[in-house]
Amino acid sequence: MNPSGNIGVIDQNGEEHLATAIHGPSVHSDNPQERIQARRLRIAARQESRRREALGEYLDGKKENEEEQSKSYKQKEESRLKLTKLLLCGTELVTNIQVATDIREIHRRVEEEEIKRQRLEKLENEVKTSQDKFDEITAKWEEGRQKRIPQELWEMLNTQQVHCAGLIEDKNKLISELQQELKIKDDQYVKDLKKQSDDISLLLERMEEQVKNAMKNFRQELNHIEKAFELERQELLSSNKKKWERALQAHNAKELEYLITRMKKVEDYEKQLNKQRAWDCEEYNTIKIKLERDVQILEQQLQQMKATYQLNQEKLEYNFQVLKKRDEESTVIKSQQKRKLNRLHDVLNNLRSKYAKQIKQFQEENQSLTSDYKRLVGQFKELQRAMRHFTIIDAEKFRDIWLMNEEEAKALAQRAFDVDCVINVQHLGLPWKIPDFWFLKNVGPISLQQRKSAAQILEELLLQTEEDGTEEAMSEDESYLDLPEQVSAKTTKRILMLLCDESGFLIESKLLSLLLPLEKSECYLLRLDAIFSALGIESEDDLYKMVNFFLRYRAHRLSSAKSTSVNTERTSLMSALECLSMLSQVDRKSLVSKSEVESIVEQEALQGGDYERLADRELREKEGLSSPRLIHPNDVLKILEAFVMGLKKPKDVRPVPRVKKDVRDNSRDSEYWASLAMVIPASKQSLWDALYKALEKYYLVLTQRAKLLMENDSLEQQNAEMQSLLQQYLQAKVNAELQIPPTQGFRLPTK
Amino acid sequence: MQDSPAAASGSKSQNQSTFNVQRQTSTAGGAGSGAPPLKTTPNPTPVHLKPKTTNARRMRRIISEDAEWSLAIVPLLTELCIQHIVKNFQNNPILKQLLPEHQQKVLSHLPHDLPLTVTANLIDDENYWHRCCIKRWSVCHVAKHGGSWKRMFFERHLENLLKLFIPGTTDPNVILDLLPLCRNYVRRIQVDQFLPPVRLPTPPQADEQSDSGSEGEGSEPEKDHYQLESLVAGLKHLEELDLVYGVKDCGMNFEWNLFLFTFRDCHSLAATIRACHTLKVFRLTRSKVDDDKARILIRSLLDHPALEELDLSHNLIGDRGARAAAKLLSHSRLRVLNLANNQVRAPGAQSLAHALAHNTNLVSLNLHLNCIEDEGGQAIAHALETNKCLTTLHLGGNELSEPTATLLSQVLPVNTTLINLNLSCNHIGLDGGKQLLEGMSDNKTILEFDLRLSDVSQESEYLIGQALHANREAARQRTLSPGYFMTPITNNSHENPVG
Repeated sequence: MNPSGNIGVIDQNGEEHLATAIHGPSVHSDNPQERIQARRLRIAARQESRRREALGEYLDGKKENEEEQSKSYKQKEESRLKLTKLLLCGTELVTNIQVATDIREIHRRVEEEEIKRQRLEKLENEVKTSQDKFDEITAKWEEGRQKRIPQELWEMLNTQQVHCAGLIEDKNKLISELQQELKIKDDQYVKDLKKQSDDISLLLERMEEQVKNAMKNFRQELNHIEKAFELERQELLSSNKKKWERALQAHNAKELEYLITRMKKVEDYEKQLNKQRAWDCEEYNTIKIKLERDVQILEQQLQQMKATYQLNQEKLEYNFQVLKKRDEESTVIKSQQKRKLNRLHDVLNNLRSKYAKQIKQFQEENQSLTSDYKRLVGQFKELQRAMRHFTIIDAEKFRDIWLMNEEEAKALAQRAFDVDCVINVQHLGLPWKIPDFWFLKNVGPISLQQRKSAAQILEELLLQTEEDGTEEAMSEDESYLDLPEQVSAKTTKRILMLLCDESGFLIESKLLSLLLPLEKSECYLLRLDAIFSALGIESEDDLYKMVNFFLRYRAHRLSSAKSTSVNTERTSLMSALECLSMLSQVDRKSLVSKSEVESIVEQEALQGGDYERLADRELREKEGLSSPRLIHPNDVLKILEAFVMGLKKPKDVRPVPRVKKDVRDNSRDSEYWASLAMVIPASKQSLWDALYKALEKYYLVLTQRAKLLMENDSLEQQNAEMQSLLQQYLQAKVNAELQIPPTQGFRLPTK
Repeated sequence: MQDSPAAASGSKSQNQSTFNVQRQTSTAGGAGSGAPPLKTTPNPTPVHLKPKTTNARRMRRIISEDAEWSLAIVPLLTELCIQHIVKNFQNNPILKQLLPEHQQKVLSHLPHDLPLTVTANLIDDENYWHRCCIKRWSVCHVAKHGGSWKRMFFERHLENLLKLFIPGTTDPNVILDLLPLCRNYVRRIQVDQFLPPVRLPTPPQADEQSDSGSEGEGSEPEKDHYQLESLVAGLKHLEELDLVYGVKDCGMNFEWNLFLFTFRDCHSLAATIRACHTLKVFRLTRSKVDDDKARILIRSLLDHPALEELDLSHNLIGDRGARAAAKLLSHSRLRVLNLANNQVRAPGAQSLAHALAHNTNLVSLNLHLNCIEDEGGQAIAHALETNKCLTTLHLGGNELSEPTATLLSQVLPVNTTLINLNLSCNHIGLDGGKQLLEGMSDNKTILEFDLRLSDVSQESEYLIGQALHANREAARQRTLSPGYFMTPITNNSHENPVG
């Protein structure tokens, strides 16, 4: 409203600011003041320009706003600076007292130290001088003791007294001085107390003053700031008001303009409306005529349509009747169908129930059958058990019966042999020998000797070789009895050990961990077992095949390496030996002899020195066929591979005989029994037959002879009887009476 | 007595609202007979203890024929109960079972002189304790006690007891009985006097001269003060221990043996602070702590888990004590160390400086009024070169002179942590002042630098003041606009050469 007045206020304010700037913080600063003044000038210049602009045109509000803001901000900043300075000065003023007391204290301490030092010095001096005096006096006492004249002694005593008094006086003086000092100190203490209380009161005073001052200043500054803000607000208000009025005026002008244009527009529209109306009327009339004509045409059409309608109605009625009939028919059919449907539903239900029933039935059946099956399985198992039991029992029985029969047969055979013997020896006078038949030695049912499994062999081997360590030569010839003769146990063992060490990869890791706590030999056994099962070695034969394979391989190697090695001769010899031993089944004797040789050699070696050890080794190698030292561990895997490749083929055939393992082989039974029955060969039988015939004849002759003998006997008896009768007759009295005795006629046989 | 108002209120429920107003006046004034004329509505008012009240009587507001008639209504049962509770609070404290509003009422009516055994652990209401404090002490500065009136009450109560405790005559149970009551609330013990045990024959001797002091030293064990051990062990939240072994207001009855901090005191105090793991601030001032005692105390503080401030100002600690303090610096998390007004000399200051050089905890070091001289001052200045956390350093009154000032002026541009440096009351001299000014011109962090009474020329002091002012402005800018860290600094760097 009143820009000049407003600006005047601003000017005043600016002057005030300048004044505060000069009076306030400018007490001791050149540069900031200059700065502030420069700012002031800048602000004044801006205000000037603004005034000019206000008279002429409007400024954009933003700049103004900014300046206004900066003004209040400036005021705030100024007050803050002033107040901080004030506070700083105040605290300095207050702490000045503390600093002053501090420095006083420091001075006091320095002085005190100095005084203390002086006092100590003084005391030391005093001690020294008094000591001197005292020494003097004591020396004089000695002097006095030598004095004989009483006057002199008296004189001397007097002087001594004087000296002592002087000494004591000195001391007293010192004491009084010290006491004086003490008193002074006491006074000073009181003074210090007073001084301190004064200081404290001064401090309090200053603090209070400061507080008051600060409060006053703060209030003043607050007022200043408030004033500045108020001024700013007023300015803002006035400027806003101006703006508002300007806007209002512009608004009014624009409104008027709008009104005029609107009126013009209204007139225009009116004219246009009138024109439109006239045109519309004409158009209306023409359209009306045209429409009436149309109506007439349409009425005609309506009549025509009505006629066609009636025609159509009749047609439709007829159709309707027909359709009704058909509908009735269809309802009948529908009901029939429905009935049929119901019936079929019933059937379906029946079938369903039947189906369910059957399912149930079948389930039950199934259950019963499964239970039956289970029962049967149980029974079968029991039966099997019984079977097993019975087979065992049967086997026993069979064996018993076999034994019994065999015994019987053998007894019979024995009898036959006895008889044969008797016949031969007694009758024929031939020498007789008991025929040697394999079946005679057989006891019990014949069974094919079981093949030993590889593992069993291993076990034997290991155990045996363990024993070997203790009783070498002695046990060897016995133990070899049940070994096939190809190779010595030691060699086999060594090869196996080698195998065991080299082909650990064939063993499962689980097994290895389990093996750890076991004994060494047991461990080897189990490991070998695992390796063999991996390689597919099952029987004794396989095992020995393998060992042989190893040896052969080595021999092959050796022969190839013959030319290079130093001790070629020996190795060749050995390979020859090996070949021999492998190809021809070396009989036990040779082995025994070998072992004997070895044992002898060993004994010799034990007795002999170093020289003989060489020979010993040579021999040992010779004996050992393949000391595994000559098979390099690296070769083992190659050999194994080759061996496994070779072994594969026969392996496929193997499973068949295995199945029949428990079935007894009775093929040789009949043969056995037959042979047992045919103990006496046919030739002998024919011999026997001939003998029998001859004997029969002989018997006939003998019987005839016996008969003849009997006849002879009876005749002799008759003769004897006749003789006795004759004797009787002769000796009878009749005879005597008779002239000629009959006796004379014949002669008595004298015999 | 109690039935009638209840019955009346039951029957006249529609009049409840009007009664409430009356009831308040009646309970407050006792006999509010002035109220009835204001009421114009002819509502019947129940009369207490009048069985013959009829309907006719109920219709009237004033009954002149009944002399006992009063509109004052029997207060509510709850009011009566609350009054009763307040009256018998000492014997039967019921508070926690009440509703919050009733609790408030009870608390506002409780007398402040209830025995502490009843109130201590039961009442947490600040208003109650506020009343207690106001009644008991005229000046209460609650801000010093963490803004809690209850804490303030117990702390000051305990302080009073400790101040007036006379070993040998006062029953120690006086304090120990209080322990279970105040253990949860006391965080600070601030005792500025410990009374020595009373010896009857001594008062006459006390008038004699300082001989009694030397006599007292002979019979030292009898002069032990109160042993804080059991008390401190019981306070589980204790954080601050502020002790002065001396007697206040002795005036001209001064006697040396009133200010004896005996070895037994020292040992027991050492054990006490060692056992107190919550202790953060330990102050033992004006107690004639000499080197040996300081060493005992500091040894007990080595590797203390919580200690942050150690104040041994105004004692007799010498170089050995300072060396012990230096060791403590490297064996604890001490943030504030105050050895003002002791007898630390150059060797002690050197050992402190050595510890300071690699310390990362200490924020404030006060060696005011010692005598570390230039050697110590130079050592500390060297330490400031590597130290990265010390903000306040007070070396006032230490006989420092120009060499220290030159070294400091070299260190000041390097160090960026120091905020407050005090070199007042030294002999820095004119040249030293100029060198310090040079050093200050390159420093941007120091906000306060006291050089009063240190023989520095007015001009350099003034210019240093200017530099400080600039630094302060910069710091203010930084705090005002932490987001625009770079701009104010660059601005200042432009302004500084001008200013």
